[in-house]
Order: sequence, then C-alpha cells, then structure tokens
Amino acid sequence: MSVLNKSIGCYPLGIWIAFVALVLILIAWIMQSYSLIDWEGAVELGLQNESFSGNETERAVADVERGIAIADILWVFPIWLIAFIGLLRKRFFGFLAAMMEFAICVYFPLFYIFRDSSGQDIVLGVLLLWLIPSLLGIMGLWANRDLFRES
Amino acid sequence: MIEPTVLTWILAGFGTVIFLLLMSAQFIILIKPKSQQAKDILIGKGEEWRDRTHFKSAYAFAWADWLVIMPLLVASNIGVLLGQQWGYILWIALGILSIYFSIVFWVMEKEYTYPTYGPLAYYTYFWGFYLYWGVAVIVYSGLRL
Repeated sequence: MSVLNKSIGCYPLGIWIAFVALVLILIAWIMQSYSLIDWEGAVELGLQNESFSGNETERAVADVERGIAIADILWVFPIWLIAFIGLLRKRFFGFLAAMMEFAICVYFPLFYIFRDSSGQDIVLGVLLLWLIPSLLGIMGLWANRDLFRES
Repeated sequence: MIEPTVLTWILAGFGTVIFLLLMSAQFIILIKPKSQQAKDILIGKGEEWRDRTHFKSAYAFAWADWLVIMPLLVASNIGVLLGQQWGYILWIALGILSIYFSIVFWVMEKEYTYPTYGPLAYYTYFWGFYLYWGVAVIVYSGLRL
C-alpha cells in the first residue's frame, strides 16, 4: 500500500491529487471558453498569444490556437465534466474519463514546450498547471484503481 | 483477462499502420527539420511552409506525438493483445487523443490541405482514418471493459 492509497476523509490521497489536477485543468477550459467568446479580449488579457487582426504570421498562430481552443471545449471539456462527476461518485466511468483527460493534458503542454516561440512563462505555466499535475493524477488514479473496479 | 477477438486484431493492425505512417512522416521533420523531404511528406509535394509559425507548429506536434502517441500505441497494443484491462484503458486514451488532434487539425489545416489532397485522400489516410479509428477504439474498448 503506497502513500497514494492512504485515506484522507472520504477519498484516498491519490484521488485527492486527481481532483486537484482536475481543478487546475478547469482553469485552462475557463480560459479557452473565454477566448472563444472574445478572442481579442483574451489576447489583451494574455490568455492567447496572437490576434486575428495582426499580420499574416500572427493570424497563423491565432488559427492554431483557435483550433486547440475549439477542440478543448467541444471534446475535452465534456470529458472533464464526466471525469469530475464520476470520480466524486467513485464510478468506473469517472476513472476512465479522468485518465483520458490527463492523457490530453500531458499531450497538449508538450506542443507548447516544443514550439520554440512559446515564452518561458508559458512553458512554466503549462508544466506546473497541467503537465505535472496530470502525471501525478494518473499515478494517483492508477494506485487506487481497485476503488473503481466494482462500480 | 479480456480475450482478443478478430476485431481486436483488426483495430490493432489498422491503428498500427496509420500511426506508423504518421510517426514516420514526423520522424523526418525531427531529424531533418528544414528538408524538402519533410515538406513533401507533411504538407504536400513541392509545397512550402506558410510561414515559420506553420513549421514550428508541425515540429512541436511531431515531438508531442513521438513522446506521447508512440509509447501509448506500443503499450496499448501489447496490453490489448495480452488481454489486459490496462491495454484497453490506454487504447481509449489514444483514441481520445486521436479525436482531439483530428478536431485541432480540422480547424487549423483543412482550408490548406483539403484543396491540395482532395476529398478521398483527406477523408481517408490524410485525416479521416485517425478520427474513425479513435471513435472505433473508444466504442470497442468501452464495450469490452
């Protein structure tokens, strides 16, 4: 039994870590939702890098970022909802959805890390807010997978 | 133990083929980023990167795919063919990612690649297969789990 299986209140530590990771990930979906509603406002707030009113290169970056934002809200945010509700109820579908959410949140930060136009603040942000918590969330969930087996 | 069926083998084989095609193309951009060969494979024969950002995005996706998709592909295939539950969980993860980047590329690339390749190539090996495979493995794994 690892420290991740140690019960704290109604959930083991590993599940609490998964919840914290999901809450941090929610910040990303709030930022992306706001960006899709008001892209230029999001650029002014620093949530997105480039404006659609800029030069050709800036518009190209904005195109990529908008593509990611649409995929996040159409596909990943619903999975987040299923994950959060499922984990709260200790259901197997929650375990699966949370694993999927974390897989995406390991994948997309790598895009920002390897795109060498990303500033150090962005790289640090995606590492600390999403990549590392998602990896810890995967470990926490996997250590407690037996909790979900019978539901 | 979840016994592999013929469908398991078909999905594993088809997934391996389409992702290995993608991975080989991306391997070229990782080892020869500025080469014409990378451009020919990734954006079309004789085509040029639209700008430096276009190149950087493709390069970053190549790294992300090699670090996440490739290990997931290998591990998930081993898992499902051994009949292990974790293999199906990894398959679903890969399917979710496959649909995720299909949506991203639909929004950011379709206006450029669709006219170049035409509907048949676009809705099959260039883009469509990744979406279809993603949906298929999620449904199949969900049913088997």
